[in-house]
Amino acid sequence: MNQNERLDYLIGYLLEENPNGHELAQVEANSIADKFELFRGLCNIRKPKPVTDEFVEVQDAFLTKWNHDREITRLGDLKPVQPQIYLWKGDITTLAVDAIVNAANSRLLGCTQANHDCIDNIIHTRAGVQLRLACHDIMTEQGRKEAAGKAKLTDAYNLPSSYVIHTVGPFIDQRGVSPIKEQLLASCYQSTLALADQKEMDSIAFCCIATGEFNFPNERAAEIAIQTVNDYLRENESQLNVIFNVFSEKDLSIYQRLLQTNE
Amino acid sequence: MKKRANFLFIEKQDDVYTVSMTPELQDDIGTVGFVEFVNEDNVKKDDPILNLEASKTVLEAYSPLTGKVVERNEKATSEPALLNSAKTEENWLIKLSDVDEAEFNQLEDA
Repeated sequence: MNQNERLDYLIGYLLEENPNGHELAQVEANSIADKFELFRGLCNIRKPKPVTDEFVEVQDAFLTKWNHDREITRLGDLKPVQPQIYLWKGDITTLAVDAIVNAANSRLLGCTQANHDCIDNIIHTRAGVQLRLACHDIMTEQGRKEAAGKAKLTDAYNLPSSYVIHTVGPFIDQRGVSPIKEQLLASCYQSTLALADQKEMDSIAFCCIATGEFNFPNERAAEIAIQTVNDYLRENESQLNVIFNVFSEKDLSIYQRLLQTNE
Repeated sequence: MKKRANFLFIEKQDDVYTVSMTPELQDDIGTVGFVEFVNEDNVKKDDPILNLEASKTVLEAYSPLTGKVVERNEKATSEPALLNSAKTEENWLIKLSDVDEAEFNQLEDA
């Protein structure tokens, strides 16, 4: 099968399994990019239920190629801005590091809104449907929603990284940032770093946790991120290499400024 | 004497230390809809003591002190919104004994 045939198979499977998916398929998808978006939307709304081995095989073949047809970045490609600290702008799903950090929500099942442009959506889409199943197992065992400020580890499946660490940041409403929310954001970084060290990882890439859908102000979030990581590495004599992965120009300039000041 | 730590109040009466919600924590998390206590009787400072699901946040609360849990607000398990009450008699979480008084005294005054 070529990529086009694989997508046709995957879309066919997902539509047969979920009749509600036809709402997404009303616009005819002809190009491979359109088909990918349809496949993505169908995966996003897919319930965490078992999937056939054949589906997984075709999906993995498709995603392996789809993910690796882009430029993949490794730790060795980057220059540290401070010892053990790296700053990189780009798509976190192109990083071949030990773990990438996903900004999850308290259900921890990945974004369920079709084609929504958030990091949780794109990480789950490009990892494959196994990621939601793995998260579902963790949540079933836990028996309650995931608290803010903690960290959960899964395989990264078809992503170039080895693992995904899922953490739920604090949600900022109209009342704004409070000391509790700041503490919860710091806890996201601490819990994730501790888990990475526990698993003896060498490199980890943080997204800007809580600054997307959760509205945490970018500047304050970056200050907390950098401070918490620096404190953690020093206090624990950790050898972890930490990449601050930014996606927007705004976050890039904030981190550039803050990291230079710290030198 | 009343102290605060980990966004919770701690009130000492004789040798029992009652841990309860602070107004800041209540405001931050919203209406509590689910409460699950951790079933560990001997807790260290910063150990989890309960999980809360509220309208704005899902939160794990951590013990402000090392001690022995002698009582939990079991009523809050069936009536979670009690934790939004302004009254300590309703919004308390756990009662601790065997607490090091010096550790308590070092906490910030409420």
